[in-house]
Amino acid sequence: MRRPEAPGLVNAVLAWCVVGFILAPLVIIVPMSFSASSSFEFPPPRYWLGHYRTYFSAEGWLLPTLNSFLVGIVSSLVTLLVATPAAFAVNRREFAGRRALQVLLLTPMLVPAIIMAISYYSVFGQLGLNQTYAGIVLAHSCVSIPVVLIALSASLRNLDRNLERAAAICGATPAQSFRLVTLPLLRPAFILAGFFAFIHSFDEATIALFISGREVSTLPKRMFASIHLEADPVVAVVSALMIYAAVLAMAVATFLRQRRPA
Amino acid sequence: MRRGLPTWLLLLPAVAYLVLVFGVPLGNTFWMSISEPTLGLQNFETILTDPLYARVYLRTVLVAGTVTLLCLALGYPLAHYMARKGGLVAGLLLGACGLCFWISYLVRTYAWTVILGNRGPVTALARWLGMEQPPVLLFTTTASLIAMTHILLPYMVLTLYVVLARIDANLIRAAHIMGASHWQAFTGVVLPLSLPAVVSGCLLVFIFCVGFYVTPTLLGSPKDMMISSLIANEIETLLDFGSASALAMVLLAAVLVLLAAYDRLVGIDRIMR
Repeated sequence: MRRPEAPGLVNAVLAWCVVGFILAPLVIIVPMSFSASSSFEFPPPRYWLGHYRTYFSAEGWLLPTLNSFLVGIVSSLVTLLVATPAAFAVNRREFAGRRALQVLLLTPMLVPAIIMAISYYSVFGQLGLNQTYAGIVLAHSCVSIPVVLIALSASLRNLDRNLERAAAICGATPAQSFRLVTLPLLRPAFILAGFFAFIHSFDEATIALFISGREVSTLPKRMFASIHLEADPVVAVVSALMIYAAVLAMAVATFLRQRRPA
Repeated sequence: MRRGLPTWLLLLPAVAYLVLVFGVPLGNTFWMSISEPTLGLQNFETILTDPLYARVYLRTVLVAGTVTLLCLALGYPLAHYMARKGGLVAGLLLGACGLCFWISYLVRTYAWTVILGNRGPVTALARWLGMEQPPVLLFTTTASLIAMTHILLPYMVLTLYVVLARIDANLIRAAHIMGASHWQAFTGVVLPLSLPAVVSGCLLVFIFCVGFYVTPTLLGSPKDMMISSLIANEIETLLDFGSASALAMVLLAAVLVLLAAYDRLVGIDRIMR
């Protein structure tokens, strides 16, 4: 007889089916990227590397990729700068309206992207910010403020404040203790938060669809156009590359977590 | 203890940024909804009385509701299995769900265009099974339902898992000692304890789903528009900023009501924990 708290057979079968449903679409992408077919055909008739060659030689794909990296890096830095002081205030200070502010700071993540997309489209249109890097960076930094706040809050709460108290007892000014104790301890959290903000920007399609033009088109915008209008098989290559990157990032994250002493 | 900078100064950058880059654009959209083309409530009058618009709202709610129920039906067994199984298996399954957060939803939407397309595996399977006319799936509401469920499922699974994993196994053992069957222990102990997570997961998925734009546009039928596609359509093809803004305000109001419900039941600030 099984232990009473162990899951039953039916549950196990159902669970593995659901995991299959979750993973199947991702698994299908990889062979698709090596397909020799010029349309979305599965299973592919023959395999070759032609679409990879196209991706790595077509400016129409490389430029959006570069744009996405640029926008992602700059906007995650902007978000870190803006959101870090607030993360300290919200997690460490008591002040009137703290909870309301916390909720307010999280709303950019919860308001549907299409609302923000048309709002930016009309405001940036008047300011001449549509189809500029500045416009996309401004918009993406705004919607990733909650992401950075969430990522930093977890680490800020787990930080042992006795270390800072010890610094103060040893005669450090608040600024010194912040620079010499708090910041180094939080460095992994900053890297992680910045990375989440980067991913958030890198994956964002709806706002980019509206405010990025041909010149500063981001990768998701280019992918959207390819799926929507031309059924371009190079999309499979881009998707496969993203999956390789995600698997690699997960592996690195797991490795780092296991290496770190408990 | 000595303090560093004053609290208001720490909050200033984020609040100022939010006001300027979040509040002002939203405020402008609100202003446009009551001033384009002329000052007044005529935009709201049109979109709230025209049955064509009413049909879109109804469809949006139906689609979001269906996706929410599908996510719950698929996500609960998986989360329950991971929570009760524990160990390496749960870690691996959790990793599979986590992986989805790292992969763009455009990639997953693209995958579904391949799977459901007329040269994809589903059609091939239908042919192999002897179906003369394989069902057309791509560019239908079914396709966007499947893909949205797939994209939002990890949120549901993780929300449920966090709570299910915290349920003390001793409670289940106790139920057994008192003579409960596996099913009775589940319905009498586990399910009631997990209800807050069910509510929170469903609200989260529903909120994300009502505003979904990219996936329904790429996979769904243009005839069965959801509200976000309608908003985009008003701007892109009709250049009607007034109606689009008014529709956006209606969607925003709906989402804010749902968020308020979420805040009452779960607490939005709990997301930060």
